[in-house]
Amino acid sequence: MVSDCRRRPGWLGWMLMTPMLAWLVAFVIAPTLILAVYSFCQRDELGQVVYHFSWENYRRIFIDSDTGRLGTVYLDVFLRSLSYAGLTTGICLVVGYPVAWFIGRAHPGRRNLLLTLVMIPFLTNFLIRTYAWMTILSENGILNGFLGYMHIATSFDMLYTPGAVVLGLAYTYLPFMILPVYGSVEKLDPALVEAALDLGANPFRVFQKVIIPLTFPGIFAGVLLVFIPAIGMFAVAQLMGGGVDPTIGEVIQNQFFSARDWPFGSALGMMLMLLFGVFFWAGARWWKTAAE
Amino acid sequence: MRIARFLLAFVLLCSMTSAVRAEAKKKSVLNLFCWSEYVPQDVIDGFTKETGIKVNVENYASNEEMLSKLLAAGGKYDLIQPSEYTIEALVKADKLAPLNLENIPNIKNLDPAYTKLPHDPEGKYSVPWMAGSVGIVINTAKVKTPVTGYKDVFSGAHKKRIVVLNDSREIVSWALSSLGLPINDITPESLEKAKPVLAEWLPQVRVYDSDSPKTALLNGNVDVGIVWSGEAAILFKKNKKFQYVLPAEGAHRFIDSLAVPKGAANQENAEKFINYILKPEVSVKISDAFPYTNPNAEARKLLTKAQLANPASYPPGDPKLETFKDIGKVAADIDKLVTDLKNAKGK
Repeated sequence: MVSDCRRRPGWLGWMLMTPMLAWLVAFVIAPTLILAVYSFCQRDELGQVVYHFSWENYRRIFIDSDTGRLGTVYLDVFLRSLSYAGLTTGICLVVGYPVAWFIGRAHPGRRNLLLTLVMIPFLTNFLIRTYAWMTILSENGILNGFLGYMHIATSFDMLYTPGAVVLGLAYTYLPFMILPVYGSVEKLDPALVEAALDLGANPFRVFQKVIIPLTFPGIFAGVLLVFIPAIGMFAVAQLMGGGVDPTIGEVIQNQFFSARDWPFGSALGMMLMLLFGVFFWAGARWWKTAAE
Repeated sequence: MRIARFLLAFVLLCSMTSAVRAEAKKKSVLNLFCWSEYVPQDVIDGFTKETGIKVNVENYASNEEMLSKLLAAGGKYDLIQPSEYTIEALVKADKLAPLNLENIPNIKNLDPAYTKLPHDPEGKYSVPWMAGSVGIVINTAKVKTPVTGYKDVFSGAHKKRIVVLNDSREIVSWALSSLGLPINDITPESLEKAKPVLAEWLPQVRVYDSDSPKTALLNGNVDVGIVWSGEAAILFKKNKKFQYVLPAEGAHRFIDSLAVPKGAANQENAEKFINYILKPEVSVKISDAFPYTNPNAEARKLLTKAQLANPASYPPGDPKLETFKDIGKVAADIDKLVTDLKNAKGK
């Protein structure tokens, strides 16, 4: 059987793979190549891309042109985006895991209803949901009004802070954590948990040694699905953070619009992609060693 | 399969465009490429009714978007609506066709203050559509001290109560104005001088927003803003407590104009359209829908008192206003400076 699986695919196999390959070429490989080529180009006065090869755009990311020394501006921006994304992933995991567990252990007839509830926010446009959060958090907003009415606190700044950005990101990506974890929880055989308990493991040990390893594929998928898009997300940072502390998504977007510097934006995009690659590779490696 | 379908779609698209081209030769059409939310539908309908020319409209959201589409699809558009610095860049790159002013007799209706400006000194390539400015909005219910210029906004009294446009070039030009430096002749030296000013200003900003800066003011998150005059006019219409002031140090005036790209298939129709919107009774319709500054002197006579009294549309007095010129590659230095300072502040 093994040799069967390793056989080169026949013409039918290639035929069946054509749509996927065409999709990959058209929407992944070709745009990435264009980005890679642009990142080595220059811009002209009108902002058009000029095919004049240089490393200048990459130099600009790492070297401060004023001092000629290592510049930390874009590094800081990267790190800020990473910390926002990391916090978001942590919150989504802590909040989403119990929810996924609860749904996965619920009566089968009720699971679909609960899953629908998780999906319901997607029926509303993402920007409208973000504006709704802005209404809740703003100074004359609903939450401040409530806190003032209950004499808990006088109005304090919530909107346009890093905390608001992380809240917005966690809200946006929470379903992407719940759904894959739910998938793993549903497949988990309850008999294994019972067996562990019967054999004398305390609940914490059961969770640590049985439940987590068995739901790990879901956790891993959820972490990737939340962390990676959260790094590049610019709309939440712009709307709920007020654009005060720049994130990498905002800086890249800026290059393509107001600065009219596509090559530099492409170079930043390539660096971001490299970073994703490293994370994915490290994650996959870690998983492999954890599995062994 | 996908490729085949893609090719099929492509062929269909090509035949459709050529069909449109063919139609353009048979029937009269005008391919208008304009800002979204800027050309009222009844103006377009009125033009078609009067001339029989069918108008195909395509919209864009920024000058930069318009530039990239125009450069990619030459000859597809007959009439575009760029702002002054974009006109200058297009003229420099030889991408605009000179207008035949004989076809546009209504040009006499324009206020001379808005024509033959530095971006088009002979008035050969562009006809102003609407003008506006970037100025200060104050929530007078919260701010009791007078604010007359950038220095008052960033005096420290309104720390973290300020919204500004998320536009590096605008922000840098305010700092340059406050130093008395030219906003269109930007050099590394003048940027070096602007840097300490901006380093002091930017940490005081609560929100950067170009799309809808009025939101932060309406929600009460900030008390002062430096925003587009159109946004300020809408705020003033909602509540008179939002007062608009043009900064004493000087302010940016933008002029959105109509221009014909080189190689346009229907230049004559484009000129007919320009002539049509310059009619006072048509121009008023544009003012009704979009309360910017109308450069049409004859049309202004037809505006209501309330429209003319809106200080954001028609600022009183004789303010110091200056249009932007194309600065080419310096834009990258400006963007770097602002990103740098925003970031330093975030640490």
